[in-house]
Amino acid sequence: MPINKTRRDFLWQTGGGFAGVALTHLLTQDSFWKVEAASRAPHFPAKAKRAVFLFMNGAPSQVDTFDPKPELTKRNGQAYNGELAVGSNGRPVGYLMQSPFAFAPRGKSGLEISDLFPHTARFADDLCVIRSMYTDTAAHASGCLQMNTGSIFLGKPSMGAWVTYGLGAENESLPAFVVMTDPRGGPIGSASNWTAGYMPAAYQGTLFRASGAPLLDLRPPVDDRTQRRSLGLLKELNEQHRAKYPDDTELSARIQSYELAYRMQTEAASTVDLTKESAETRRRYGLDEAITADFGKKCLITRRLLEKGVRFVQLYSGGGHIEDTWDGHNDCITNHRLHAKETDQPIAALMEDLKATGLWDETLLIWGGEFGRTPTSEGVGKPGRDHDWHGFSMWLAGAGVKGGQAIGATDELGFAAVEDRVHVSDLHATVLHLLGFDHTRLSWFYSGMNQRLTGVRGEVVRKVLA
Amino acid sequence: MWPACGPLYDSFSMRLLFCVALLSAYAFAAVDYAREVQPLLKRRCYGCHGAALQMSHLRLDQRASLLTGGESGVAAIEPGQSNRSLLIRYVSGVDPKLIMPPKGPRLTGEEVGLLKRWIDEGAVWPGSETVVETKADPRAKHWAFQTPVAPSVPAIRNRAWVRTPIDAFVLAKLEARGWQPNPAAASGDLLRRLYLDLVGLPPTVAEQQAFAGDFDAEIGKLLARPEYGERWARHWLDVVRYGDTNGYERDALKPMVYKYRDYVIRAFNQDKPFNRFLTEQLAGDELPDADAETMIATGYHRLGPWDDEPADPAEDRFDQLDDIVSTTSQAFLGLTLGCARCHNHKFEPLLTRDYYSMVAVFNGLERPRDGRTELDRPVGRWPEVDRFNAREKKIAELREGARREWLESGRSGLPAEALAAFRLTNKERSEAQKKLVRDHTKALDAELKLLPVEAQVAELKRETPDLERGYFLQEHSPTPRATHILIRGKATSPGPEVSPMAPTLLAAGFVPPVATERSSGRRLALANWMTQPQNPLTARVIVNRVWQWHFGEGLVRTPSDFGVMGAAPTHPELLDWLAVWFMDNGWSLKKLHTLILTSNAYRMAKTSNAKYAAEDPENRLLWRVPYRRLEAEALLDSMLAASGKLNRQMYGPQVYPEIQKEALEGSSDLDKIWEPFDEAKASRRAIYLVVKRSLMVPLMEVLDLCDTTRSAAQRQTTSVAPQALQLFNGAFVNRQARALAERLRREAGPDPAAQVDLAFRLTLARAPTAAEQASLAVFLKEQTLEELCRVIFNLNEFAYAN
Repeated sequence: MPINKTRRDFLWQTGGGFAGVALTHLLTQDSFWKVEAASRAPHFPAKAKRAVFLFMNGAPSQVDTFDPKPELTKRNGQAYNGELAVGSNGRPVGYLMQSPFAFAPRGKSGLEISDLFPHTARFADDLCVIRSMYTDTAAHASGCLQMNTGSIFLGKPSMGAWVTYGLGAENESLPAFVVMTDPRGGPIGSASNWTAGYMPAAYQGTLFRASGAPLLDLRPPVDDRTQRRSLGLLKELNEQHRAKYPDDTELSARIQSYELAYRMQTEAASTVDLTKESAETRRRYGLDEAITADFGKKCLITRRLLEKGVRFVQLYSGGGHIEDTWDGHNDCITNHRLHAKETDQPIAALMEDLKATGLWDETLLIWGGEFGRTPTSEGVGKPGRDHDWHGFSMWLAGAGVKGGQAIGATDELGFAAVEDRVHVSDLHATVLHLLGFDHTRLSWFYSGMNQRLTGVRGEVVRKVLA
Repeated sequence: MWPACGPLYDSFSMRLLFCVALLSAYAFAAVDYAREVQPLLKRRCYGCHGAALQMSHLRLDQRASLLTGGESGVAAIEPGQSNRSLLIRYVSGVDPKLIMPPKGPRLTGEEVGLLKRWIDEGAVWPGSETVVETKADPRAKHWAFQTPVAPSVPAIRNRAWVRTPIDAFVLAKLEARGWQPNPAAASGDLLRRLYLDLVGLPPTVAEQQAFAGDFDAEIGKLLARPEYGERWARHWLDVVRYGDTNGYERDALKPMVYKYRDYVIRAFNQDKPFNRFLTEQLAGDELPDADAETMIATGYHRLGPWDDEPADPAEDRFDQLDDIVSTTSQAFLGLTLGCARCHNHKFEPLLTRDYYSMVAVFNGLERPRDGRTELDRPVGRWPEVDRFNAREKKIAELREGARREWLESGRSGLPAEALAAFRLTNKERSEAQKKLVRDHTKALDAELKLLPVEAQVAELKRETPDLERGYFLQEHSPTPRATHILIRGKATSPGPEVSPMAPTLLAAGFVPPVATERSSGRRLALANWMTQPQNPLTARVIVNRVWQWHFGEGLVRTPSDFGVMGAAPTHPELLDWLAVWFMDNGWSLKKLHTLILTSNAYRMAKTSNAKYAAEDPENRLLWRVPYRRLEAEALLDSMLAASGKLNRQMYGPQVYPEIQKEALEGSSDLDKIWEPFDEAKASRRAIYLVVKRSLMVPLMEVLDLCDTTRSAAQRQTTSVAPQALQLFNGAFVNRQARALAERLRREAGPDPAAQVDLAFRLTLARAPTAAEQASLAVFLKEQTLEELCRVIFNLNEFAYAN
């Protein structure tokens, strides 16, 4: 249906982000608002109320992580004669290259995980590995876009924006959708990966920094007393002005936004202040080890954000270019050893805490990158792996997910998904389902049609569901 | 040169008649439909494409449906042409992604063969030889698809209120309901409203003092100022998805793209007639009087994002064309034609064929590039461009000859092995030789510079001077590649060929293109069709946009969607009257502004009215002028104007404002991404700020700068806490607050009351009230003037014109 711009739409659109809750208070008299607020509930009851996307930027290799391939080991060093287009963007294709990492069955389920992830492996019985992911592109820019927004083109809202739009905010003093990037840089495409696209900016991801002030311009340029005094004057003058335009909700919302901003100054700053965490917590998250300190900090902040009701948190492992990400073109082995070590222990600590606090049952975890890597080496004589978009692995865990299983399969060498193939849009449909949404009905009218995260594709992967 | 299939031949009923003729010719066909074909279709196809269910709107149990096709817009069978029939393509599995039936075993070779033979023999269908009557599409009667006719100006009672015909139309609606328009805004409020609206800056104190109450004169003055173009060009840049970089992985700055932005500013300032403005952007290079300016205007086609490392180059070509087709149909026609890329439009009477006919219009355009690097092109009158290109060719030849000679001459000081490496082509060189070339290029260039050939080159350059350069796509031949309908939008599934054409329903008056040796003439043909007075959409769409940019909402509140699913106009008669008036007045935007701004409708106060607000909360009757926040640009520019820091330099390359260093953390290219801050440069008007698609200026973004990846019809207004944080705590606003405080001390002296008075006049264009003076006096006893200025820049009244 077309959007007829109404007061209702205004409320709906401004109400989506941080100001949402406050506006609800403000406008409970408005019957239109009540209708819209009701439609912001999920389509059906779901266990997951929030989600964490652990984005392994640069594309981790499936055959070195969650998809053991004995046949690849057997044929190590042989040429690949299959029909698949291997080698992205004209890069050279070498020989079949076995994984140097040992796989072993873990937990009661016996789920096979490589020794890159000794800590995550403790939670094998909670992980649902999808070994049959595939995507439409072999380039990082469009790959990250597709994984995050469902489309290889710029300008579509990200998954976090859709979830924020669908579920609204729980905490008025924090952004509902938080993104934390790697200190080495953001993903290619930067903010287009957490954009609200054609939806109002209120739904976009807010970049949160793991150190210093977590939000842009969070710190006032003056002392707190002056800040409060100035905000007081602002409010006083604004209220006088508003008296002439009593029915103008935009003016009220703007007055409110300054009060929220003030509260956010305290709330957001205290969220990233980890000084009160115990030595034991610091140790578990690896805060005192250089290699795990950054991702550990982000995982610990994530726990605190989830505790405060933030809807969607996205963490990036790897940033900038090539070897600073999981993009192991030259030496995939050393590369993956590094990035796995940086993230494995912190992720396990986060899972441990979520279980301890009970948040586990309401939180969905998503792990993976924009595509996978080839079972062949890239060129001859170096242990790099090229992009593989025909098949790769991701895992889901937490609320509503049936753990201790691997879904789907790639071919015997690990190139392409062949069994129970799961397209990125199928993953998106599944994630939305776990959060209580029918992906075909969570839509936004724009440019002549009802747009959705999954476009015209997407099927819920039933085997994932507990 | 043009295929014989014009619109008439292509029309549905003609095709059907033709098919029937074929059918009779094959009356003695060998395949028996009832005995052989129908049971097969029934067994394998009717389940999804039969009486009970019509997936993709296709049913195979009716001949009419087979001949017109489902939502793909392509016939399922073409009698006599099995190799061109979609049905055969699907069941034979040519494209592994498009196999029918999707479940169960594939059709056997024999079954496919049977269907092929049946089609080749004419697809005889006994017992239903009569032509199926095609019902006219009722959506064709939609108001926006009829040529506008100026209605008579309505009679009203309160004649005193009517200054322009606009007022009569607005008042008639209100009077019909027994309502009165809002009273006029206070003079000071109106002055500030006019200034912000037309030039995006508040009136200076001198301008406020010089104003003697004659608003009509003020309108003329403001429209003549260069700042008018800087304000209004930005509105147009939203519609045409302007951005300075390509987005995606490298997100490189587009060379010379800013010249398009400058062109738009000049066009508004010159009051270039809109029909000419449209034509220059679509086909400036195809005009008989093409020159540098009109060529730069065609930069329009190249403004969108594009992926320099596309996943699939064949698809990518059509994605780029889609960017142009979707933008053009929305921006100029208010049609969502992009929805018909993969299937007939679900809601509008727009066909997939229409979409690809429009693709054909642009299919001759090529992107000048060298690998991933985009190139700009020389611009000028065509003979000048030809002479320049010939000069460049000649220079290249001369230099190449001299270089070859030099390498053989034995006079070079370079090592012999380096010279040997230089003699080879890059492909022939070994890795070691490539290194030699890299290491000695500079030295060789230094030697070559001293050769006598350079004197010749200098002479050639004197004879034929350099040309200005622009950023646009180019055609190279009178006959572009063929354009086919793509089945389900897939580049790998070409269907029937189409000709360049306006959408079927609206194609009346479309004159087929006339090619020249340089280009196909197709874009000029499209522009001519769009700008002829019978076109039902073009004038209505732009008139409505201008109305929206003045009032906040258009008369049609879906400004880029005038289709069946778009919003109905609140004042249909006024819209049509304005559209016709606009065309009659030479498509002049400045005349249109003047008409709107001199009306009493525009001068109504924005204050509320409890009764009207309750009954018409959306202000559909236009009983007041609605309240709306200034756009990011006008807000920032107003601060700079008030603080006295505004740098009024016009035009030129993009400006990099100061941004929070934390904002750079999200970027993948930390070192090279942003230019160092230079306050004087950065204090230019916001239209000159760089629009980098992967790193939007955070302050602009949080203030709802539009999506720059596609045509944006309207800015959003959100009020979120991060916006308050940036406006209250951020560096830009605080710097302006400090500058304003200094200015107040300088110009108003040490008296706090005088400082407050001047502060209000500079920012809100009014004197403070006694109550305000009192509050502020108290505030200033314990706080600084800088703090006061910070508060004023954050006031609602500063961000909203009264």
